[in-house]
Amino acid sequence: MGCRLASLDWNIVGSMKLKILAAGITLLLFALVVYALGSTSPRADLTYVNPSGIHTLDPSRMSWTQDFRVALNLWEGLTTWDPQTLEPLGASAEFPPMISDGGLTYTFTIRNDARWSNGDGVTAQDFVRGWRRAIEPGSSADYMFLITDRIVGAADYVAWRIEAVTQLSALERLRDGWGIKETHAPAIARLPILAGIINPDGELSQQIEDLSIDWAGVYDDVFTRHVGELDTRFDHVGIEARDPRTLVVRLTTSCPYFLDLLGLPVFLPVHESIDLLRMRPEGAPITAEGLVVYDPQWTKPLYRRNGYPGLITNGAYRLSDWTFKRRVRMAVNPFHRMAEKMHCRTVDMLVYENISAAIMAYEAGRVDFLPAMDVPYDHEIARLSLSGERKDYYLCPVLATYFLNFNCVSDEVNGVANPFVDRRVRKAFALALNKKGIVEQVLRRGDRVAKSFVPPDVISGYTPPSGLDRDVEAARQLLVEAGYPGGEGLPPIELLYTPSDELVSQALARMWEESLGVGIELRSRESKTFAEDKANHRFMVARGNWYADYTDPTTFLDCLRTGNGNNDSGYAGARYDTLLDRAEAEGDTDKRTALLRQAEAIVVEEDFPIVPILHYATPVAIKPYVSGLYTNARLWFPFQSVKVDR
Amino acid sequence: MRSPILRRLRLGALTVACVYVLTFLMVIALPGNPFQQGQHHIPPEAEMALRAQYDMDNNWVYFWQFLVGALKLDFGPTFTYNDWTCNQVIASSLPVSMLIGLMAVLIAVLIGVPMGVVSAVRRRTWIDVSCLTLVLLGLSLPTFVTGSALLIVFSVYLNLAPIGGWGTIAHLPLPALTLALPFIACVARLTRTGMLDALGSDFVRTAIAKGASKRGVIWKHALPVAILPVVSFLGPAMAQAMTGSFVVEKVFGVPGMGQHFVNAALNRDAGLILSTVLVFATLLVLFNLFVDLVCAMLDPRIAEGV
Amino acid sequence: MVNCEKRTINNPLRRLLRSRTAQASAIVLFGLILLSLVMLPFSVRWHNAQELTRSVRHPPAWSPVQLDSNQAADHTPRDTSSAFAHRAGSWFGHDDLGRSLFYRVLPGFLVSLAIGLAAAMVAVIIGVTWGAMAAMAGGLVDQALMRIVDTLYGLPYILMVILLKIALTRPLTALFAGHSGYADMVILFMAIGGVSWLTMARVIRGQVLSLKNELFVEAARAVGAGPVYVVRTHLLPNLVGTIFTYGALVVPQAILQESLLSFLGIGIQQPTPSLGRLAADGVEAVNTFVGYWWLIVFPCAFLVVTLLALNFIGDALRDAFDPKSRAATLV
Repeated sequence: MGCRLASLDWNIVGSMKLKILAAGITLLLFALVVYALGSTSPRADLTYVNPSGIHTLDPSRMSWTQDFRVALNLWEGLTTWDPQTLEPLGASAEFPPMISDGGLTYTFTIRNDARWSNGDGVTAQDFVRGWRRAIEPGSSADYMFLITDRIVGAADYVAWRIEAVTQLSALERLRDGWGIKETHAPAIARLPILAGIINPDGELSQQIEDLSIDWAGVYDDVFTRHVGELDTRFDHVGIEARDPRTLVVRLTTSCPYFLDLLGLPVFLPVHESIDLLRMRPEGAPITAEGLVVYDPQWTKPLYRRNGYPGLITNGAYRLSDWTFKRRVRMAVNPFHRMAEKMHCRTVDMLVYENISAAIMAYEAGRVDFLPAMDVPYDHEIARLSLSGERKDYYLCPVLATYFLNFNCVSDEVNGVANPFVDRRVRKAFALALNKKGIVEQVLRRGDRVAKSFVPPDVISGYTPPSGLDRDVEAARQLLVEAGYPGGEGLPPIELLYTPSDELVSQALARMWEESLGVGIELRSRESKTFAEDKANHRFMVARGNWYADYTDPTTFLDCLRTGNGNNDSGYAGARYDTLLDRAEAEGDTDKRTALLRQAEAIVVEEDFPIVPILHYATPVAIKPYVSGLYTNARLWFPFQSVKVDR
Repeated sequence: MRSPILRRLRLGALTVACVYVLTFLMVIALPGNPFQQGQHHIPPEAEMALRAQYDMDNNWVYFWQFLVGALKLDFGPTFTYNDWTCNQVIASSLPVSMLIGLMAVLIAVLIGVPMGVVSAVRRRTWIDVSCLTLVLLGLSLPTFVTGSALLIVFSVYLNLAPIGGWGTIAHLPLPALTLALPFIACVARLTRTGMLDALGSDFVRTAIAKGASKRGVIWKHALPVAILPVVSFLGPAMAQAMTGSFVVEKVFGVPGMGQHFVNAALNRDAGLILSTVLVFATLLVLFNLFVDLVCAMLDPRIAEGV
Repeated sequence: MVNCEKRTINNPLRRLLRSRTAQASAIVLFGLILLSLVMLPFSVRWHNAQELTRSVRHPPAWSPVQLDSNQAADHTPRDTSSAFAHRAGSWFGHDDLGRSLFYRVLPGFLVSLAIGLAAAMVAVIIGVTWGAMAAMAGGLVDQALMRIVDTLYGLPYILMVILLKIALTRPLTALFAGHSGYADMVILFMAIGGVSWLTMARVIRGQVLSLKNELFVEAARAVGAGPVYVVRTHLLPNLVGTIFTYGALVVPQAILQESLLSFLGIGIQQPTPSLGRLAADGVEAVNTFVGYWWLIVFPCAFLVVTLLALNFIGDALRDAFDPKSRAATLV
């Protein structure tokens, strides 16, 4: 590719061509400017910033608080939460609903004036559709457990569907001549047509592949039968639209916080127009693998394929515009019952990945509201807020805990013996921590020191156990008992964390090194590798945090149940599980609270599978001319009652 | 020049194909689960079902399916941004990156070439050293430092530009300038070396002997020759500027394409990695070809060798 | 004044030594290296000395922050050199954990330099081997190897580094079981070196191709020497200049790449400092409320000086060894 030196006579060579070239480049530049810059629109009534952009607007699939914030302003569920007290309030349904059968059956009456953004009335069928989407494989995601754990028949339905999906995926591969994976093989072995032919103890995938069966025929058979049973099976699930305005929900056990749960996006209704975008290969309601899939573009306001009218929502706002990584604009839903009284007619959500720039924009008055200020100098923001210098900075205690997981289950980690299987070692490390130092000196951003897993003073009616104070002497004594006097004999302890926990992890390492005489190896991994290592128990100590899904202690305590998907420490406490089971079955509120408290005491005072360090306090900035935004422990900000007097 | 161009295009297509294969191999060798988002673990059956749906449980099938789609310019879904397709992501971010990249290269040429010329002409004086030092500063500071400094000085204190974001002409100069700084250094260095070589060569001495003015020698005789390595460098530089601007995008909040390389890699998002890499490789091939054509235009002797 | 004299000096080393900027750069670099090495014992002891009570985010001062009597006993230095070293710790201020920035910037400088040199060595080793193999083998092997280089050019640099780093993390951590600090450094410079060898391979191939046709090589082949022997004994000495030149150009690039990876959060492992890491931390601490200027000024000053020096030396090397350069282009 080299251009060699040459002698030229400048005047003759290519001056014409060069002029054309220059003109061409200028034209391209002009076209790019026009295209890339897009069009600008007048400023919205309320502008706020979301650092990372929306991950998804699909209510069944969302799991991030920022997405919830937008979704719960666009849609309205059966209930919502009071922005100041977080008590459940009625939304699309009349409140309170009729509760019968000892708390097992809820009957909701949908309001007459509940309307979609195209004028259609909201019906109970819309809720059934939305909840069904939330559990159907193909459109479901991590919050599915809220439905399958509590609603009659949901878990069975999902299990039946997953079995069919696994079988269909595997049969597809067999039909096309690819071998099947060992993980799919047991499902195939359960097909009635193979009963008696397969030896369940042998290597299943090999046996299956060796059979000479017309797999295409088997596939068609299973597929048709499954499609035929889809709706009849779903009828067994405890969600029923008895008439267009009555929704009946049946629970497996009584759930005192069910109305609180219903405010979450997984329980939102979905307009019937979504069926226009259901992927129906060859007209069947499911894909070839048995999945229920909708065109992911259904959340776009201007999508028109197949006669789709664009996203239709039933909340106070409708989606007016969504440009990728730049802005989401919400405008008033003209058919909402509060539409006349709303002051904020348009709301803009801007994406600023550089949070310092977002703060600068807020200071310059271009942004009205910052629901998150996660920057390295947040201690300065906390100081300004606590001293009263900046009345527009608020420190919001949230229902979330930052803690450390100890690996309770592996004998060896990365080839090194894991000392944390011994309870005494865990307790020693927990007692040696100076949590106050971390909260008040390292982070200094107004978090609260955590002695318990569940944050205190947030869930009304529940006082968590008091936990244990720092006691370095006792910690050293415990190490001696465990066989590691003065830290001798302990292998280098690996601390696994993500780059955002840099400061805390370094401080923790130093604390342990100084008080216990152990050696700590810091392992910072980016989030995907971190998540995988944590899930596969490839750590000794790993950071963790948990944001409450609903306002009840079980959202925290269930994480430590044996076998729970979020139980990263691998803790398997029989006494703990029994107490939680008893609490679930207990109808009396006081007795239930006492049982939960007992269970939590096991964790934070005896066994220490985790060590809670702090309860988060999120700084929030609200301009003084904005009224109607209240800070609360769930960072729930409905915009319909907001007034902006700029 | 028909057939050499076709030949280059064919070679380019082959390179792009090799790039696809290599990237695919790297992607399937990566540990990590693209379906895990948020704090809850996804149930294994749900994950299996998702893999089956996107044909990601069979690498061979996925390889061909993606390739066929790519040839039809349909790059499939992305898991990093659930509600968008790769096409939409690239379509919205590529023009932005192209604009900033083009501006950055223009700035680099408009500033770097004169600096290089001045440096060469005033060789071995303090002007030379200071010019060199000034441009090399662009290569001596990480882009996040220069970008943040420019943001604070011009947007916050002097209020001359909006604080990041995108949408108007005023959003363009600061990111383009930040991106241009390392290129200014490279362009200036190349120009300087080229000029020094040209100034010491025979034909320049001939021109001086024939009575050409100093200015004429520099601008009309030496510079066109010296500029060739710079033009040749601009090809890959433009592709690099368009797609390697992650830091600039992060600091200034510009919705460009550089961030998608990084985010896709960190999220193990096969579709997005493959599509962005294919776009990058195609751009690189096209820019290299274009730049070689311009070189050939400037120097007819090369045209025969192209 | 256009200088048309051809002042070519034939010995490359002398040409190199004549360059004044290269001299100045070398002096500055060696000075810094000397300073860092002298302070190394203190750096090793104090680079992670967290003081959560008194010095968190303290600006630079001439003497250590006032101790209260409880802590004075632990920190009273025993001899004058120690006392001086202790005092020097406050000169650059303290960071978020109360650590002395002075004793983080100095070892950070050494770490960055080490990573740069190591990455350059990796790039040199891969590049030279690749280019020489391609040139010596010729024919299809040559075509295939160069096709792979073209393909790798077509991959975005930043993506490659990240993917390499992610891919290498698990196996190398297992290899270095228990010493994850070392594993991280190795992964880092292997990942950076692994994407920086392409230009080197191309240049070396070009050089070897032209050298291959020289008489002395033909003579060696006539005597029956194998290709490896030829490369080692006859070609390498002639390639040294090019290797140094292009290798030296990789060092500043590698240091910048490391700072980019630190900015992304996947760079050098804490608490080991590096200039890139310190600069990234300093930039993130920039805000409009309180100025923590020392957190960014000192690491960036060191970074600028180091990279400028390395760039100048690299330029001087290139000008000295470049066989095509006809003019003395040194300053």
